[in-house]
Amino acid sequence: MNSGIDLEMSFTQGIQNLGLPPEIAHLLWIPLPMLLVLVSAVIGVLVTVWLERKISAAAQQRIGPEYAGALGILQPIADGLKLLVKEDIIPARADSVLFTVGPILVLVPVILSWLIVPFGQHLLISNVGIGIFLWIALSSIQPIGLLMSGYSSNNKYSLLGGLRAAAQSISYEIPLALAVLAIVMMSNSLSTVDIVEQQNTAGLLSWNIWRQPVGFIIFWICALAECERLPFDLPEAEEELVAGYQTEYAGMKFALFYLAGYINLVLSALLVSVLYLGGWGFPISIDWFASLIGLSTNNPLVQIATASIGIVMTVLKAYLLVFLAILLRWTTPRVRIDQLLDLGWKFLLPISLVNLLLTASLKLAFPMTFGG
Amino acid sequence: MLGFLQKVADYTQDAVGAAKYLVQGLGVTFDHMRRRPVTVQYPYEKLIPSERYRGRIHYEFDKCIACEVCVRVCPINLPVVDWVMNKETKKKELRNYSIDFGACIFCGNCVEYCPTNCLSMTEEYELAAFDRHSLNYDNVALGRLPTSVTSDPSVRPLRELAYLPEGIMDPHELPANQKRAGQLPNQIVKELQNEKSQEEENNNSKNVSQNKLDSINK
Repeated sequence: MNSGIDLEMSFTQGIQNLGLPPEIAHLLWIPLPMLLVLVSAVIGVLVTVWLERKISAAAQQRIGPEYAGALGILQPIADGLKLLVKEDIIPARADSVLFTVGPILVLVPVILSWLIVPFGQHLLISNVGIGIFLWIALSSIQPIGLLMSGYSSNNKYSLLGGLRAAAQSISYEIPLALAVLAIVMMSNSLSTVDIVEQQNTAGLLSWNIWRQPVGFIIFWICALAECERLPFDLPEAEEELVAGYQTEYAGMKFALFYLAGYINLVLSALLVSVLYLGGWGFPISIDWFASLIGLSTNNPLVQIATASIGIVMTVLKAYLLVFLAILLRWTTPRVRIDQLLDLGWKFLLPISLVNLLLTASLKLAFPMTFGG
Repeated sequence: MLGFLQKVADYTQDAVGAAKYLVQGLGVTFDHMRRRPVTVQYPYEKLIPSERYRGRIHYEFDKCIACEVCVRVCPINLPVVDWVMNKETKKKELRNYSIDFGACIFCGNCVEYCPTNCLSMTEEYELAAFDRHSLNYDNVALGRLPTSVTSDPSVRPLRELAYLPEGIMDPHELPANQKRAGQLPNQIVKELQNEKSQEEENNNSKNVSQNKLDSINK
């Protein structure tokens, strides 16, 4: 089995050839993928913000941002710069420590979760064995930050928004985890790389979405709720709560919330594509295609092509889901808080439990197709 | 047991129905994406106001007889008619006339009742000013004609929705000779008159033939 491009190995070998010990080579390597992923996450957010505004405009027969750069492509950068130079206000009666820690605690776990997003066999920061579990664990930190900022703002809207965010995150994490568990059961691994590998055996047909259609829908609904996207944006419902827990925030601290929200959306879309849509998998096997032309799979050109097709496929699938999320935003009305909790506890939770049990029994009955 | 199964079936049916409506809604949103934006890029493009648009009031000083009808029909007695009685000629002599557009509601009553038609409504609507007192137009300002949207070279005039041909929603790139849907008021009047005269003719001919029959019978 060809393992594809492995940049870490090549890099550390190159450094070692210069006469440095392997520890130093590894130390030199570590910051590179982190920086790359951080930059790509931020660029992903900029693209998503632009897409959101353009697609929203198209859905409402408007034009959207147009003057900042070609087709308004620089608009998110202009917005970001504006937030960067704005005054950083801490309300006089607010708890300044919690007020500052809140947004940081919201953003950091979301960025940390990018650790486990694979764009190829070796194109991820760290192939941790507990991969997907790490993501679920990290996403549980976020509501603490939201609650913190809601409480420390000393504002009734913020407090209500923070409480709603916490209630929503906690109740939707359970069906989310159960949906992921069914996938994990089928692929016998928590590692995201293994989950994608297991979906790449028969092209399009081996994608998990065909074996887990209910799980896919549950995961997508829960992901939208976790990101506080529109059918579930109660914590920041502007008609009721001004801006929820963000009410008192301005400048860079507000930008952190904004960034966290969009990074979370892109991350969720990426994870849906990893868990259900075959990740970096391309419908046609590239190894087969290479052998057709007569090139070895170890040829650097083939390896680079494979890697870039993998990245493009992952991002493409993720952005299709982002597009769906934006369309859903302009299609569905916001649910009430009781409807939200009803949907979470009385619909998604039992369905996801049934889905899990069904997956388990199918795995026992058909070990071939359901990963025995 | 059966009751429980029935409940589960109902619940599933509900969920499937909800999903169906959701997909239907998504279809509507998706369909909107391929429609052209209705945006009018305002300072560069402007809609042509309709022919009965009630914009800033135009006033002709020389026609005015200072009768003050406009003041009486105005909801807030807004126009200021400054006149003096000329004792020799025993006639009113108009000195100044002004309307404050900061307070005017553009109801058009003054225009409607003016006996000499010295007041009329224009299609000017860009009355923004930095000082509200500059909205108090005197007879010189009132006498100015606004630049029409169609004659302004820096503005691209666009037709309003009601003035577009049938089935067309987009005023961009529409040839000027394309006529609007339906007929103009004067065309309708003409048609009605034609119909009326034809009917009368028919009636006349009927009467004539009836008379002839009558004479034969006699």
